[in-house]
Amino acid sequence: MKQIPLDVRLADHAVFDTWYPGANGALVHAVREAAAVRTHTVCWIWGAPGCGKTHLLQACVSEAHQRGATTAYIPVDPVGGLDPAMLENMGGLDVVCVDAVDRVAGHAGWEQAMFMLFEQIKQRRARLIMAAEKPPLHCAFKLPDLVSRFTSGATFRVHELSDEDKIRAMQLRAKWRGLDLPDEVAQFLFARIERSNPHLFDVLDRLDTRALAEQKRLTIPLVRALLADERANSGG
Amino acid sequence: MQASVWNRCVRQLRSDLSEQHFNTWIRPLQAVEDSLTLRLLAPNRFVVDWVNRNCMETITSLVATNGAEKPVIVSIEVGSRGGRDEVRAQPAGPTKTPSGAYIGGKLNPDYTFDRFVEGKSNQLARAAASQVASSAGQAYNPLFIYGGVGLGKTHLMHSIGNLIVEQNPAAQVAYVHSEKFVGDMVKALQHNTINQFKQAYRSLDALLIDDIQFFAGKERSQEEFFHTFNALIEGQQQIVLTCDRYPKEVDGLEERLKSRFGWGLTVAIDPPELETSVAILMSKAAAARIELPEEVAFFIAQRIRSNVRELEGALRRVIATSAFTGRPITLEFAKEALKDLLALQEKLVTIDNIQKTVAEYFKIRISDLLSKSRRRSITRPRQIAMSLAKELTTHSLPEIGDAFGGRDHTTVLHACRKVKSLREADNRISEDYQNLYRTMTR
Repeated sequence: MKQIPLDVRLADHAVFDTWYPGANGALVHAVREAAAVRTHTVCWIWGAPGCGKTHLLQACVSEAHQRGATTAYIPVDPVGGLDPAMLENMGGLDVVCVDAVDRVAGHAGWEQAMFMLFEQIKQRRARLIMAAEKPPLHCAFKLPDLVSRFTSGATFRVHELSDEDKIRAMQLRAKWRGLDLPDEVAQFLFARIERSNPHLFDVLDRLDTRALAEQKRLTIPLVRALLADERANSGG
Repeated sequence: MQASVWNRCVRQLRSDLSEQHFNTWIRPLQAVEDSLTLRLLAPNRFVVDWVNRNCMETITSLVATNGAEKPVIVSIEVGSRGGRDEVRAQPAGPTKTPSGAYIGGKLNPDYTFDRFVEGKSNQLARAAASQVASSAGQAYNPLFIYGGVGLGKTHLMHSIGNLIVEQNPAAQVAYVHSEKFVGDMVKALQHNTINQFKQAYRSLDALLIDDIQFFAGKERSQEEFFHTFNALIEGQQQIVLTCDRYPKEVDGLEERLKSRFGWGLTVAIDPPELETSVAILMSKAAAARIELPEEVAFFIAQRIRSNVRELEGALRRVIATSAFTGRPITLEFAKEALKDLLALQEKLVTIDNIQKTVAEYFKIRISDLLSKSRRRSITRPRQIAMSLAKELTTHSLPEIGDAFGGRDHTTVLHACRKVKSLREADNRISEDYQNLYRTMTR
């Protein structure tokens, strides 16, 4: 009979320690500074979906809170049941992280709310870190005043991790969960699955569950069995 | 009640909610506790409603099981504890008018005439602003400063306010963004305090209103502002206005306002010429205590010509990269730190452009790049072009695949990996790639 694991695993809390920087050292340094240093900061980070922007923003919020700052993570989305009113007075906080800010481009109410948030943050010399898929000038914002303000911050592209770095990123996540993911097992896994970061971490999550249920270490046979079962279940 | 009741709630909510929900809705709350009450303060009504709907039951039951002798009353409202260090660090607070109402934002102490870098593009506006600050209400009233975004209009406006207060610390000066004027007026109407609102504005010595283009189409606000404007001008109190264009060109603004805005002096600020941009960068670097070689300032200024904010953003990026690497800021360093930003900023690099350049470089046709041909003389340039498109544009892998004859995104990914390994193994390919990269980004 299969043992059903109790959910006692460590969750992948979004902290800087679990985000493997690869070629993004300067970016991480800048975002960490924003969480720590009490000077007015505006940062814009951009990159393809799944590159880890949300994790970085949430890590920033976590670290800022630990350092005694008032803070919030705000995923803006004009179609997700949210309202520009949710930005009101958020500029009264010390560190504000706004995710997917490019999604509000072209929505007049949201753009104006972002403008007011920006001004409030500037007035209070607080810190604003924004994430988007593109740099400010390449998003379809209608309000020129807003775009020019966004460009006044340091803009960083989140560079995709190289294959070697992706393996290291997986090993880092595994270590954080108390698992040992040996090189040969990581390589074996890596050669057989889709290599986007979210997918890699998702597979790691399932491996973690299986290893716990079967009371086994992460080995090539365990990986092979998991992949075979998943293929069978998906009918492939 | 123990001081840690709210902390206990937070721990519980952290495990109940997703990390995203926790960071969005619980993190911004501030708690005020005593033995009988737990008052939660939220930034706005939207957060209050969400917490009420989703967490209040948990919070109330956690507080109830805390073992306090008397029941603790839990409430949530819009508010802030305030008084944090960063707020206290602000020297000039919002203006407190004789009527007791607070209006406007703070004057930024960094925005002074001393720190305003003068050049041909802004010297007339600076001179007029300086004169207005020295003889408020007497010289030009109103002073109307207009120009594109990020050229220093707000800086000049704050400089005027700061100098007026420096010369007369008792002077009532309010800096108000037009959006805030509109918002405050709407609140005053809702709360039936419009008379106090009027009184507060009309008792000022100087009113600085930023970005008046935001008044466009807001008739009730224009009406109110019209009367405030008249009252202040009659009382010889100074008004300074900024706008992103000449008053007559603002659509949705009443004619009588447009004509009044022209009563005093209207001055323009143009985009800075190269020398002024360099001086601005040097001044900003000095303020940040960073040693910026002049050739680096020239390099940035030559490439970013549109406005001061973009210059500032580029400088911040260079400073941040230098802070991380510990390397001094040299011309080579700045080029490296800004390469992706500049390539994108100048909007030169498009997939079409890359295909054209790569095809010319390898003496093949663009149609070859898009074709199904698997000859190496075609596939190599195609892979290089795809890899450049990935590096130099913001297009996603599927978009790049589409632009190369409708290929799959995994083909693009494969091309990028292939080019990377070839560049490491083959000097000639590495050189070709570098040449093309330089052509595209110079």
